Amino acid sequence: MAGTDNISQFSSCNDARAMIVRAREEGIETVWDRLAAQEPQCGYCALGVSCRNCAMGPCRVDPFGEGPQKGVCGADADVIVARNLGRTIAAGAAAHSDHGRDILEVFGELAEGTTSGYELRDETKLRALATEWGIEADGRELAEIARELADAMMEDFGSRKSRLGFSDRLPEKRLDLWAKLGIMPRGIDRENVEMLHRTHMGVDNDYVNTLLHGLRTSLSDGWGGSMVATELSDVMFGTPKPVVSTVNLGALKAECVNIALHGHNPLLSDVIVQAAQDAELVALAMSKGAEGINLVGLCCTGNELQMRKGIPMAGNHLMQELVILTGALDAMVVDYQCIMPAVTDVAKCFHTAVISTADKAKFTGATHISFDPHRGLEIGKEIVRKGIEAYGNRNPDRVRIPEGTVEMMAGFSVEAILGALGGTPEPLVEAIKAGKIRGAVGVVGCNNPKVKQDTGHVTLTRRLIENDILVLVTGCSAVANGKAGLMMPDAAEMAGPGLREVCKALGIPPVLHMGSCVDNTRILTLAAALAKYIGTDIDQLPLAGAAPEWYSEKAVAIGTYVVASGIYTVLGVQPAIFGSPNVVKLLAEGLDDVVGARFAVEPDPEKAALLIRRHIESKRQGLGLPFLEPDSLQAEAA
Amino acid sequence: MKTVFVNPERCIGCRQCEFACAVEHSHSRQPAQAMLERPLPRPRIHVTPGRAYNTSFPNRCRHCDPAPCHQVCPTGAIFRDADHDLVLMDAEKCIACAMCAMVCPFDAITFHEQGNGMPSKVAALKCDGCVERVRAGRIPACAETCKTGALVFGELNELIAAGRASEGSALLSSAAHSQALSTRPPANVAGWRAWGLAAVELNMGVHHGRH
Repeated sequence: MAGTDNISQFSSCNDARAMIVRAREEGIETVWDRLAAQEPQCGYCALGVSCRNCAMGPCRVDPFGEGPQKGVCGADADVIVARNLGRTIAAGAAAHSDHGRDILEVFGELAEGTTSGYELRDETKLRALATEWGIEADGRELAEIARELADAMMEDFGSRKSRLGFSDRLPEKRLDLWAKLGIMPRGIDRENVEMLHRTHMGVDNDYVNTLLHGLRTSLSDGWGGSMVATELSDVMFGTPKPVVSTVNLGALKAECVNIALHGHNPLLSDVIVQAAQDAELVALAMSKGAEGINLVGLCCTGNELQMRKGIPMAGNHLMQELVILTGALDAMVVDYQCIMPAVTDVAKCFHTAVISTADKAKFTGATHISFDPHRGLEIGKEIVRKGIEAYGNRNPDRVRIPEGTVEMMAGFSVEAILGALGGTPEPLVEAIKAGKIRGAVGVVGCNNPKVKQDTGHVTLTRRLIENDILVLVTGCSAVANGKAGLMMPDAAEMAGPGLREVCKALGIPPVLHMGSCVDNTRILTLAAALAKYIGTDIDQLPLAGAAPEWYSEKAVAIGTYVVASGIYTVLGVQPAIFGSPNVVKLLAEGLDDVVGARFAVEPDPEKAALLIRRHIESKRQGLGLPFLEPDSLQAEAA
Repeated sequence: MKTVFVNPERCIGCRQCEFACAVEHSHSRQPAQAMLERPLPRPRIHVTPGRAYNTSFPNRCRHCDPAPCHQVCPTGAIFRDADHDLVLMDAEKCIACAMCAMVCPFDAITFHEQGNGMPSKVAALKCDGCVERVRAGRIPACAETCKTGALVFGELNELIAAGRASEGSALLSSAAHSQALSTRPPANVAGWRAWGLAAVELNMGVHHGRH
């Protein structure tokens, strides 16, 4: 909580800066203070050369030569780094996949008719999924189809299959490649468990072998757990369609009961949206002097709600403490993932009630209301009532909401994109072939206080669209680009001439919101569909991925499944692997010969943009499309 | 006189000081790049295990005055920086005779290949007190990175006085109540060590009581 001089380096957002200044003034600790207190951070851990996997340790390898070069068991830097990376991928994949399973379980119970507050909202998608999974859909009742689909998907979490149910979305060439490499994902839970097994002392002592299983583990997430989450969320809550809403802290309303929905899983937030419209609760809020109940979203729960219900988003990962600092937030309802334990500490400085809802994610200092899908709506109402009660404790003199909101368009599911294109990928393929659109890039991932908030996402995205590259965003990146004004159709003016023309013809922004972080599977589905449409493999396409401000284990799993699916990926934050030059070489070079794609690490978004543009032109060259000589491309002068 | 003072009872053996020292004395000053530099940047501080399990001591040049290494160096490679009370080393003049290492009471001098722009040669390597950082108003890298307070930078007498205030008064206040400390003076080294451990334990109790 030291000086205020460096606040401009913390965030590129005015609403964030205003609240960080307030935190400084009032002595409230935030993520930036805690990062400063941790610095300098552990060098061994930052390079990935420390191992805590057994009690002969903990061990670390000295990268400067004088100290130990092997752990007690004999593991060198390569083995230790690979073990750690393997476990990171498994943790990320487990988080997404457990989220997927939670959705699937409620979907199964909905099919049995035992839930409250849920329905099968997208019949077309349910029937299409059933057909894809080999389940007879014609002339059968929806509930019956759903029951069978739920059973089939549950099987994917086990270990009784040789490949996942969504595999058929992939081009044959990619499936053959995975089979040849021995990285075909077999079961969602299985690959995670096997990774924990392999990284136990004395199992997989070959770093290449461990990393290959890392690819397989991540694929069980991207083409398994996350995909189940995305697809079934669409069936239960509706497949997203383009919708205009607003973003930033100005989404809070001083005159209303403000409830923020934070986390990742739409199961609970969907019923809270229903509960907040309950006439009795609205009347209760008004009897306390409020003009109504205002819901805002944070992080991926925010994305899920915005793209389906048009609910405004208060912000992304680094806004979660700052939204409380407005003094106008009455309740923060959390489910799981990316919710800092610190939110309850910040909430103590205000009247804000933090309400945890998932039995697997409790918070000291929060009120826990256990979520139960059988009483979904009832629980949703109980939670909203708590928010209204907390409103009664609000001190109006402490309310400081940064003014103004920005409009953004959300909800570009694959179905919506194909809809905008007239039902076929052909116009997109033709625009790419003609060079109006050079290629497409998924700019995804988190915020990280080590990066000036949103600068990585927005700078990279701007450079890409200026160079006629279509950008697809999810998660925190979607919020960042929304706040920067890049996600409305009129942002086409900021795009290069080719992309601008296409966007204007279709009435779409040059930066398309594809959802939450589990929804990166929508990007996979689209990439695979394009590859199949033109009869090639994904790695031949002019595509790339980027995670300029990533922080989480989930992001590592995402980056890995994107690369293993054949898409070049640039990370903006160094992963903890640099203690093993061999592992770095494999991931940044060698993988190109294995899966047709590799990682790059580039903290400077301007340079990252250049790397990606060169990559896209080289892929265009490979496909025989008009291309610019990759090495001739230079970064624009700032 | 400002120096890095060691509180060995607070050292947890994490070796962050070694790491930070090597990075600080690299060209890039970035861990991922530093470990690829040749010659490798080497730490000038060494965390050595203590005699009891899980004890350790971060050992570095104490910048003695007069410094035995300074006195015996035949080529004048070792010199005293009076402004910062530091014993410094000019690798270019060093002939790697190891006289300094032989007389160093703390075994704090090692020999490694060194770059620094000149043709690389093996020369004596020792703590330079992070003199560049100190000139810039920053504290030495080892003290900055130490999260437990085992390495602290400050005026020597002030640091000693601070230790005296807490540990001395703690010992005095507890001695009268402690069986371990009120018995006759220990008869042997093991006895003294046990006495010391008991004192440290009591001390920790006093600290906890205070804060």
